[in-house]
Formats: sequence, structure tokens, C-alpha cells
Amino acid sequence: MSAIATRYEVVVGLEVHAQILTESKMFCGCSTDYLIAPPNANTCPVCLGLPGSLPVINRKAVEATIRTALALNCEIPEFSKFDRKNYFYPDLPKGYQISQYDLPFSRRGYLEFDIKGETRRCGITRVHLEEDTGKLLHAGTIDEAQSSLVNFNRAGVPLMEIVSEPDMRSADEAREYVMRLRAILQYIGVNNGDMESGQLRCDANVSLRPEGATEYGTKVEVKNMNSFRGIHRAIQYEIERQSQVLDTGGKLVQETRGWNDARGLTVSQRTKEFAEDYRYFPEPDLPPLDVSREWVDEIRATLPELPAARRDRFIHAYGLSPYDASLLTSARPMAEYLEDSVRRGAPAKTAANWILGDFSRLLNADHKEIQDSAIEPEHLAQLIQLVDSGAISGKMAKQIFEEMYRAADPGPALEQAKGSSQISGDAELERIANQVIAENEKSVMDFKAGKEQALRFLIGQGMKISKGRANPGRLQEVLASKLVNPR
Amino acid sequence: MPEPNAELSSRQVEHVARLARLGITPDEVDRYRDQLRKILHHIEALNRADTTTVPATAHPLEERNVMRDDVREACLPVEAALENAPSREDSYFKVKAIQE
Amino acid sequence: MRLFQRTIHDLHQMLVDREISSAELTESVLAQIEAVGEKTRAYLLVTRDLALRQAKAADERLKRKRDVAPLTGIPIALKDVLCVKDVTSTAGSKILKGFLPPYSATVVERLEADGAVFLGKTNCDEFAMGSSNENSGYWPVHNPWALDRVPGGSSGGSAAAVASGEAIAALGSDTGGSIRQPAALTGIVGMKPTYGRVSRYGLIAFASSLDQIGPMTRDVVDCAVLLQAVAGHDRRDSTSSQRPVPDYLATLRNGVKGMKLGVPKEYFVAGMEPAVEQSIRDAIGLFEQQGASIEEVSLPHSDVALPAYYIIAPAEASSNLARYDGTRYGFQAGSGRNLIDEYMQTREEGFGAEVKRRIMLGTYALSAGYYDAYYLQAQKVRTLIIEDFKRAFTRVDALLGATSPTVAFPLGAKTQDPVAMYLNDIITIPANLGNVCGVSVPCGLVDGLPIGLQIIAPGFREEVALRVAYAFEAATEFHKAQSPLLGAAA
Ligand SMILES: [Mg+2]
Ligand SMILES: [Zn+2]
Repeated sequence: MSAIATRYEVVVGLEVHAQILTESKMFCGCSTDYLIAPPNANTCPVCLGLPGSLPVINRKAVEATIRTALALNCEIPEFSKFDRKNYFYPDLPKGYQISQYDLPFSRRGYLEFDIKGETRRCGITRVHLEEDTGKLLHAGTIDEAQSSLVNFNRAGVPLMEIVSEPDMRSADEAREYVMRLRAILQYIGVNNGDMESGQLRCDANVSLRPEGATEYGTKVEVKNMNSFRGIHRAIQYEIERQSQVLDTGGKLVQETRGWNDARGLTVSQRTKEFAEDYRYFPEPDLPPLDVSREWVDEIRATLPELPAARRDRFIHAYGLSPYDASLLTSARPMAEYLEDSVRRGAPAKTAANWILGDFSRLLNADHKEIQDSAIEPEHLAQLIQLVDSGAISGKMAKQIFEEMYRAADPGPALEQAKGSSQISGDAELERIANQVIAENEKSVMDFKAGKEQALRFLIGQGMKISKGRANPGRLQEVLASKLVNPR
Repeated sequence: MPEPNAELSSRQVEHVARLARLGITPDEVDRYRDQLRKILHHIEALNRADTTTVPATAHPLEERNVMRDDVREACLPVEAALENAPSREDSYFKVKAIQE
Repeated sequence: MRLFQRTIHDLHQMLVDREISSAELTESVLAQIEAVGEKTRAYLLVTRDLALRQAKAADERLKRKRDVAPLTGIPIALKDVLCVKDVTSTAGSKILKGFLPPYSATVVERLEADGAVFLGKTNCDEFAMGSSNENSGYWPVHNPWALDRVPGGSSGGSAAAVASGEAIAALGSDTGGSIRQPAALTGIVGMKPTYGRVSRYGLIAFASSLDQIGPMTRDVVDCAVLLQAVAGHDRRDSTSSQRPVPDYLATLRNGVKGMKLGVPKEYFVAGMEPAVEQSIRDAIGLFEQQGASIEEVSLPHSDVALPAYYIIAPAEASSNLARYDGTRYGFQAGSGRNLIDEYMQTREEGFGAEVKRRIMLGTYALSAGYYDAYYLQAQKVRTLIIEDFKRAFTRVDALLGATSPTVAFPLGAKTQDPVAMYLNDIITIPANLGNVCGVSVPCGLVDGLPIGLQIIAPGFREEVALRVAYAFEAATEFHKAQSPLLGAAA
């Protein structure tokens, strides 16, 4: 589809909904652990919308929203309020969603990401706070079902909506944006980044316009993507579909389309003949909020190092390539894994290669994250040490690593690797000791003159000669006896 | 100030009824139209107040930043949550098919 | 005097002195309900067993002289908009027929904690929308003073119950006059506290920025006692004020000498009945005699309060009532072809005409293109009304006026004309929009029908309104007049 790029400009804006990691719901004390609870077990008068019940704002959710907005370089207005968004749907217990309309907690930020080695900046329109809806279960497909079942355990879970400007120009950019955003949300601990279970959800607004045009084309909203790959494929599909319609002289309709991952296409869900009329108005049950500068500063002080800063540090302090540094900082656990490995003595570049190479390959095949693996940074550092000292070959290390990965406990495989490569035989150790003594006359003299630390140096030399394979304890014994009782 | 109600039409009444999910019969459409026109006519008096420099009341109370700590509290027993459900299946609320 | 004719403070003394038991008292009131209930139709549900159980428990407390509160053992009626755990609570609507709340309103919990006795749920206009109680989804209430007349609304059942001896006191709710106007029309005391003074948690919402729960009683002392029991911050209602609650009885008897009382000229509205106007003028004269200085004041935006109210209240109501869709509770039509059809049928059959009219009005006022002209303009007008009161209260301590421009009107007289019905609330609505408090006290009878005097005090100054009200009551006999249903039993 190279023709597209020359004739149409792709315009993509993203709306990301991220559940906030809190103990209790947005407006009531019910638990947010909705994935494991029996149906409707995490409900109360407030989140069921029972007559007479009233909401009370969860402070932690507000602070998480402001923290996110700060991480996305947003302005935080000094006055904010909640509004009601009115519409009917069976997963919406009150007939309205408490959300934010004209005075959200933040506006006008940006997010930077890399694409083909270049840094791109995408505007963030706003980050606002609202409540999640319940979940519907359809008997059969949504079109054929005679009835649906409703579970309100998710209703009222705090949800951030992060709206981007229509600044992205390709499916690649959109994917990069979401990856980077997800990393930030995980970094600052406000969201677990789980797209499959819907704790992080992404909708895309996709339109095309003739190159050089300033007005936007007809916008199509694409929903239901639950992976980075899905986002990329859905947007790419939509770009191709829209350009085909335009190429054949057709007209696009403003509509919502759902991404069907199995079939690899988008399907029209509803046409917006007349825009939904949500009848927003200020939520009378909740007094507004004064967001003082002191409060914002307090929240800012809780921000950890963000991916972009960490990436720069990885480049400068570890000498990693910008590409590797970006990948490694895209998820906080991975970046921390690298730092831990370095702290345990592994050279940064080697550790990075392991993490991005064999380790990632194995994890990806199993749909696992680095923190799910039993291999600890300590194990990786030791394995690298074995290779660097020449005790084992790189090829062997790969085999051992895979063994370690497959095992419930990577320890034995690592120990075995160390053991099998070790030189403990007296004859060979004596040969090494002799060579050390012959080549280090001065240290031998020092030792004999009473300088105990010279022995440490000599052992080190022995290890070097043996390419790290000598059993250090045995080597010390042999060396010491030779120095004390020279033949 | 516009005079939006001047010609409140039956079509508008039908549209509003649908937005509000209120079923109304054709005679009711006309009756509501007439009644709403009359009420809206009285409400036009709002225009008498000069509000050009007046801020809207954001909230009747002076209270601000009323929030609670992120602490879990007991939920309803599932049976109590579902006790009033007109239709249910197992521990779910049951609704008609959603297609429009 | 029979027990059901007495006041809370009177009965409290008798209970404490062990002169009577709560069980006896409760039986007395239940017997009166039995005797006249068919005439007033004040109750939607009488919780006889619950009442007797609570009376017995109250008697234990009284016997042990432990945890005795002013309301311990006192039989009280609750407007049906208040949720009581496991007791049918319908807000007077068929759409909530049979609804059993799994929780109780905060005010209900507070009364329970004090050992009050719950007689049942009183009738009201559906979702508290009305001024005559004729919009009840079940049946209209009849005024105990003249059974062919309305008791006012929407707390008409609570008012009629107190006026007929079917309760010693009651709780009502007031969004645009729904406590004060029926209190005036049935010759009792009724107070709308300042928005935020009493928790709304568990009050089935009509208009969230205006609704307030308040006491309906036989005299001003009882009004203070009942308010004291329910007022104060509630962490479950974010709009309930943190301000401390003063001791209302402490200043009640301080008199009006030296006080400045304002008479808003705009409150003598067109269409006010001459007898009502005369009673109010007489009341003003009485305050003057008692040493208060009277000053005419102006609340210049009073004429736009009614239109602002009929935008704000229906707009909020249209949203508050969206939850009644037949999914989680209440009535479900069951005959819809699909879900949207089902919603439409459920709401068509479940709601009454006035509720539907206001949902339509509110939906329209909030809909795209009309929001600024209606809702936003109304909220700006609300600001002007708040400022009107603030300005007036820099000059005077409280305001005086009628509660209702007319006495109770015949059933059916205004049902065909919504606008005429809306005009009933013309002098009560400003207090709701203006975030002030107001109390209505009996100030006369014309042709055997009660007239109410409204006393309005600044926000969170309920003690001022009550003090003025008490000064009037102490100097007059109007509150002692009893409805034929109550008096005849003597
Ligand atoms: Mg949203
Ligand atoms: Zn809840």
C-alpha cells in the first residue's frame, strides 16, 4: 500500500482508558479485585446505583490521575469538577457515568516516543478521571443473543481517560505511542499495563485526508484492540479500508467500528447519524476540587524516574544504543532487571544483550513477562561471569540459560555449569601454581616477606591462567603449600 | 438568548422522549408538546435576569475537596445485591438482548 | 388529651417519668391510624410489627435509664423517599413497587440509634414531584382539616399523619417547598434545613442540589428536637457540611426583642389570598409588639426563581431517574422486543404523568444546543438569588412571609394545569435555590383551613429561624388548633 503514503495523510488520535491501581473503587469502598470475585460480589448500594446512594471521591484515584498528567507534561488547572455523562446501557447502573467534561484534572501535555531512531512528540489533550462500567456477558454473539447477563463488579473501578491529539501519522506511530504510554503508567505505578484483561484499553480515531489538506477527513472510531499488535493491525486495516473507499470514489461515514482480531478486520458497530447527546452537567452530588499548587508539588515529588530519563541514562552511563535503551525502558520490570544485573557485577551491554536476546525470545514464546521468570538478576550475572572468565563458551551459556529458564529453580543448572567446568585435579592445579610462581617473582617475594595480601594477587593470577575454571579454594591450598614448603 | 422553545415540535418531543427512554403514544406526543410549550413559555422569564457578568453556581456548597481514603469496606452479600432484581440468572442480573 | 395528640417533648417527659410506656404510646398512634387512615390515606405502608418491636426495645432503654434520647420511644413517620433496610421504599412511585432497600438512610440510622419508633412510610408525590400529593403513584392524600382538599405536597402524607394524630412527628423532604407548603396547609410546623445540614444518604433523589430532609412536627420545640437528632456531617454524603451543629434548644427561647426582621416585598405575590396576606401582616405586627424591628427588604430576583427551579430541578431529576430501567430493582415491563424497547416500556408504564413531564423537560433543557439557554442560565440566576439573600441578610436577621399564597385547595382543582400547580411553590422555592433555611409555622385559620407563616434565616442558621418561630408560637395559640380528625378524638 505504498500508494497511500503519497496520496493521503493518515491522521490518528488515541483514547486510552487505564484502570487505576487502587484498593477500593472510585466512589465506594468495594474492592477493585473484580477479575477474581464471583459475579456481583464486589457491589454495594453506591456502585449498583441503588436509589438514595451517593458517591464519595477516592483521593488516591485523584492523585494517580494528577501524577499521570504530570508524567505526561500536562498543565494541572487549579479548579476541577466532576460531571455526569448521561446515557442508557445495561452496564451503567445509574444511567450516567460520573466523568469529567469541561474542567478535567489536566490538559495540554505531550508524550515523546521514538520512531525509526527519531523522537516524535504527540500532544496530550487531557487526562481525566471517571468510573468504569460493569461487564456484560452475552449468550452467543451480541447480535444473536436473546439476553445478556450483567456483572457490576467492575462498575465504579477508577478509570483514567488519556486523550491524545490527532498527531500520529501511521499505525507504527500509534503502536509506539501506546507502548511508551503503557511504560509510563507502569513506571509510576498507576496501572498494571494489562491489555488482555482490559485493564488498559485503547480506542483509535482514524481518518485520511489528501496530502497537504488542512481539514480533517471523516473520522472512524476503532475499538476492541487488546494488544499492541492488535492496535497496529487494526489501524493499518482501517487505513487501507478507508483509502480503498476514497479511491473508488466512495464516501466514508462517521462511525464506530470494532476490531475483530481473529478475522483481521474492522466491523461497523454503530453509525453516528446524529452524535450521541450525553447531556453533560456538573455532578451535584460532589463538591468541586481546588487543586492547590502545594498538592500538585506533593504529588510531583512522588514521581519516580520516568522512562525517557532512564533511557537517556542507559545510553550515557551504560553505553547502550538508543534503540536498546528504548526497548529496555519500555517496561519498568525489564529496566530494573538490567539495573539489578549490573549491580551484581554484570557488564551492562552484555546483560542488555541477554535480556533483549535469548531471555526475551523465551519469554515471548511463553507470553510471559521478565518478572514472571525464576531467573534472577543474580543468576544472569553469574552466568555472564562464567562466559567472561572463559570458563564456558558462549554457545554453552545459551544452552545453560535455556536449562535455567525451563527449570523451576535455575540454581542447580548454574551450579552444575560452574562445577563441570572447574579444575579441582591436583596435577593440573599444581601446574597452574608453578606457572604463577614462575611468572610473579616479586609477589612471591612479598608473600615470603610477610605480605599476606600478595597471596590474593597470586590466586587471581591463577584464576586468570585457568580462565576462571580453577576451584579457587583448592588453588589457594596448593599455592600456599608450595610457597611455604618450596621443593 | 435564543428562544429555543418557540416552535417545540412533535419531532423534538419524540426525540427527547427517546433520549430519556420514555415510551409515549402518538396522542401523548401532542399533549406533551402543548404542555411543554406552555411550561417553557413561563420559563422564558429567565431571560429577564441580566446574567452577562454572573458566574453560574458551580455547587451550592462552599465545601471543596471532599474525599475519602482508599480503604476497602464491606460489600453487600451477593444475595442482597440481587434481591430486588426482576430478572436474574445465577448471580447475574439478566437483561433483554441489546440489539437496536 | 390522648397520647397520640401530644408533642414529642411532652411525651418524652411522660416516658422518662415512666408515666407511660412507649408500647402504650405506639399502640395509641397505631389505633388512630386504624381509625382515620382510610380518611387521610397518609400512609403507603404501616410497619406495625416493626413499631411494636422498636417500642419494646425503647421501653427497655427507658427502664434501665440508659441511652435515653429525646426521641427514645417516640413514634415517627418516614416519608417514602427515605430508604429503610428491608422495608418497602418506593418514593411514591410504581416503578419502585416492592423495592426493599438493603440499607438504611443515614437519618433513619440516626433515629434508630436514638431509639425512635418507625410507624411506616408516608405517601408523597411520586419522587417528591408535586405540591398536592395528587401525583402519588398509589393514591392521593386527603387533608385532615377538610377531606376534600389536598394536604399539599410533596410531603403530604407526612403532613397529614402529623396533623391527624397518625404520627407524633414525621420526616419529609423539601426540594422546592415540599415540607413547608404541606406543613402550612395542614397546620403543623415544618422545616427545610440549609442544603448540607442533613445527610441525603439514603434519600431517594429528586434534585440533588436542592433536596433536603427536614422535620414535620406539632410545635417548634419538637421541630428543634427532631432536627437536632438528624443534623450533622455524614461521610457518606459529600455534600453534607462539616460545620458543627449548634444546640437548637439552647437559644430557642431567647425571644425576638432587638432582632431585625425583614419583609421581602416580592413575597406578597399576585394571586395571594387576602386572608393569607392578612394573617401574615398580623404576624408581622405581633413581632413588632415583641420588640423586633421590621424592615421591608427586596429580593429582586424572586420572580425568576420559579423558572430557574423548573429548569434545575427537572434537569437533575432527568438524570437521577435514569437508573429506573427495570434491570436491578423495581418494575420491569417484560414485554419489550429488545432492550431499548424494554427500557421505554418499563419507564412509560412505571412513571406517572408528572414525573414523565419533568423528565422530558429536564432532558430537553440539558440536550445539545439548549444547555446554555436553559441550564446554564438557570445556574446563573441561582447565583443572583443566592446574592439576593446574602444582601438581605446583611441588614436583617431573618425574613418573614407567607409559606403558600393560598390555603389548601380542593382535590383535582389544579391537576389539569401544571403551570398553575407549579405556582404553589412560588414563595418556598427561593430558599432552596438560595441555600438558606426556612420554617413554616401555623399563623391562622380561614374557614377552618390553616395558614402558614414562613421564617427564612441565613444558611446554617437554623437556630435563628427556630428562635423566631418559637417566639411567635409562644405568643399565639395557632399551633394548638387541631384538625377535626385529631381534635374530635379528644
Ligand atoms: Mg470515557
Ligand atoms: Zn460499591
